[in-house]
Amino acid sequence: MNLFLQQLLNGVIIGSTYAVIAIGFALVFTVLRVINFAHPDIFMVGMFGGLLCAKYVSSNFFVVAAASALSAGLVGLILERAVLRPLRGRDALMTLIATLGVGIMLENGVAALISPDVVAFPPVISRQPIDLGAVSVSKPQIVNLIVSLISLAIVSYYVRLTPYGRATRAVAERPDVAAAFGVNVSRVSQVAVTLASMLAGCAAVSVGLLYGNAWAFIGLAYGIKGFICILIAGNRYFEGVMLVALALGILEALITGYLSSTYRDAIAFLLLIAVLYVRPNGLFGSYST
Amino acid sequence: MFGQWESLVIFTLLNVMLTVGVYVTAMSGQLSLATAAIAGLGGYAAAILTRNFGWPFVPAILVGAVVGAFVGAFIAAVTLRMRDFILKLTTLAFGEMIAVVAFNIDYIGGANSFTGIPAYTGFWSCLIGLLIATYLAWRFDGSRLGFASRAVRDDVVAAAATGISVLQVRVVTFALGAAICGAAGALQAHYMLIVSPQELGFFVSLNFIIFLLFGGMYVLWGAMLGATVLTILPELMRFTTEYRHVLFGLVITVVVLFRPQGLIPRIPTGVSGRFSRVGKTARQQAQ
Amino acid sequence: MTPLLAISDLHVAYKAVPALSGVSIELFEGEILVILGANGAGKTTIVKSILGLTNIQRGSVSLRTDDASHDLRKLQTHQIHRLGVTWVPEGRQLWGAMTVLDNLKMGGFASDPTETRQRIEEMLDWFPRLRERQDQLAGSLSGGEQQMVALARALIARPKLILMDELSLGLAPLVVAEVFQLVKKVNSLGVSVLLVEQNARQALRIATRAYLLEVGHVVESGPAAELANKQSVQDIFLGGHS
Repeated sequence: MNLFLQQLLNGVIIGSTYAVIAIGFALVFTVLRVINFAHPDIFMVGMFGGLLCAKYVSSNFFVVAAASALSAGLVGLILERAVLRPLRGRDALMTLIATLGVGIMLENGVAALISPDVVAFPPVISRQPIDLGAVSVSKPQIVNLIVSLISLAIVSYYVRLTPYGRATRAVAERPDVAAAFGVNVSRVSQVAVTLASMLAGCAAVSVGLLYGNAWAFIGLAYGIKGFICILIAGNRYFEGVMLVALALGILEALITGYLSSTYRDAIAFLLLIAVLYVRPNGLFGSYST
Repeated sequence: MFGQWESLVIFTLLNVMLTVGVYVTAMSGQLSLATAAIAGLGGYAAAILTRNFGWPFVPAILVGAVVGAFVGAFIAAVTLRMRDFILKLTTLAFGEMIAVVAFNIDYIGGANSFTGIPAYTGFWSCLIGLLIATYLAWRFDGSRLGFASRAVRDDVVAAAATGISVLQVRVVTFALGAAICGAAGALQAHYMLIVSPQELGFFVSLNFIIFLLFGGMYVLWGAMLGATVLTILPELMRFTTEYRHVLFGLVITVVVLFRPQGLIPRIPTGVSGRFSRVGKTARQQAQ
Repeated sequence: MTPLLAISDLHVAYKAVPALSGVSIELFEGEILVILGANGAGKTTIVKSILGLTNIQRGSVSLRTDDASHDLRKLQTHQIHRLGVTWVPEGRQLWGAMTVLDNLKMGGFASDPTETRQRIEEMLDWFPRLRERQDQLAGSLSGGEQQMVALARALIARPKLILMDELSLGLAPLVVAEVFQLVKKVNSLGVSVLLVEQNARQALRIATRAYLLEVGHVVESGPAAELANKQSVQDIFLGGHS
């Protein structure tokens, strides 16, 4: 029972991080119909933005988080302006390759400038575990969870309750009609990419704190899971993507706890094939292209 | 025979061969992100036969191709209903699953890789392999099924309405493409002398998609050119060791920005199988 | 009198296939102008060209406002909306994954929020059935109800000109009559209407003037009553072209 609760908690924590990354993919995908393969590396940039800030500027958690959000957001902003916008309306695959090129630049750039190896992340928060009786958590785990939940709440609030968020959903479903009702599609895309990037940046800092290290090539491991979550859920409902990500995190943690960690990574892929075989538009449906 | 350049030449030939396989699969609008896994399976199969059972080289390669074909046909059948091109990225899941399974089978070395493979592959075997693959792809390009494939790629519904069997076209293109990849994987295994599960992941497969789209996915020669350029380019950029991968990424992004259909666009002005064929028929009719 | 909307010598092609070859149309303030034509004649292309959603090769599209004349080719779609042009697209094209209320709110995206709230109330008074269903997903409504949402959405921003594309398509005959009455009502409130229709008989009944389009060309034009008697228009009545 203790193992179950512990793994459940671990699963929720890792799943919430997947959710933040997946929601970033989903925001950009629904608006631009493009898989932004630079997203995992924007996550990584946020991690190093936070690391540099903690090392040289301030090790106050909020300052570090702000630095990572800003650095990742800036990269997202440039990416939208320089790559995604010129390629809008072009073959989605070509855009995918272009963003992949940007991703390669980012990870190798950070590797060349800082280090190609795993580096230590300054302990901004104490890693002391807290005993909760049945389960134990560490402070970084709690921070990670809170950061993710706040990020998800922000996205939900944005797309459901703000005029711009409503316009985001409108562009996602019918870009032409949205434009004809006064929505500046470029602006909406820009906000979506930047928001997705900033949240990924925050998530990255909390992951860096959680494991105590950072790596220029860490994007892939998280990116692929986030990417799979949006494929499984379909892009029709953002909340669906979050739900799938949480479920995936929990499943992985339970498999690690009860079976073996070697099969942990297979579950996401197995789930993906099974779900799409039965529901080719994703679990919660997709907008057709 | 090429001195210090030998490995670069052989890797270029193998990469071009793999990209030809990806090109054939992509002809019907499918995108394989399991290329590395399929090639790896071909490699494992052939290497087991040569190392553990003393098979000769050529039959082992053929078995590698057959294994690839079966896996390809299976993936095509399972993903048939997934119409959206982006959802085609689902193929990466097959690749990753194959990788995870390979990690856990002790018979093929598991995480420690499959080693001790005899060194059978050289320049000539790679060249012959590539020539055969290119010939097959070129013939397929101009065949009835090739035209049907392109029809399916451009508009699934319209193609189905004209009586083309989407299932048949997709299974055949995926199987043929995967067979080429399987054979290339078998060749690679007997050159590298090792097959490791780390190399089966989708990030390796993604390279071949980059090669394909970079060169132009609509023309066979474009795909081959893309693979050649992007295999050699990082080597040419050795002068800037630290930043060559950064430059590599930059080149990809910039080319896509300025040539959104790849180096060789859809309607080529130069030579291509399709173009010269159409020209030939037109000339024949004129006579 | 200068027209509200002037299209002249418009050429549009999709890839290599020409959709419009030299179309000129004028719409005067306060009128209901009908563009008739069979499937594929290029009617929808005209509407989309006004909205900046096509690649115009040649010709001009200009809109007059109180202070100036605007070259719509130089503007982006969202800027054209701000000049007072809205759209009831073919097939309604609601945001099916959003509620009816959210669809209406989007209609006022570029307008003042208080004003929009007030307009939404007005529209829900116009269409009591929508008030009942305001929290349902728009995609779950019947065809007639969806057309009401599409009309209401286009009215929220107090447009000067509404472009209506195939209003009657896929609706039951009784609903069609109702919808056309609505168009008249909208027009009587001072909104100019450009109506693109296959249902020539009903459309000509409410229109002031009409154009007949055939494969990318204007072949007839004039007052609606006059056109209703022409043979080429009668052909369309009988559905000979579609």
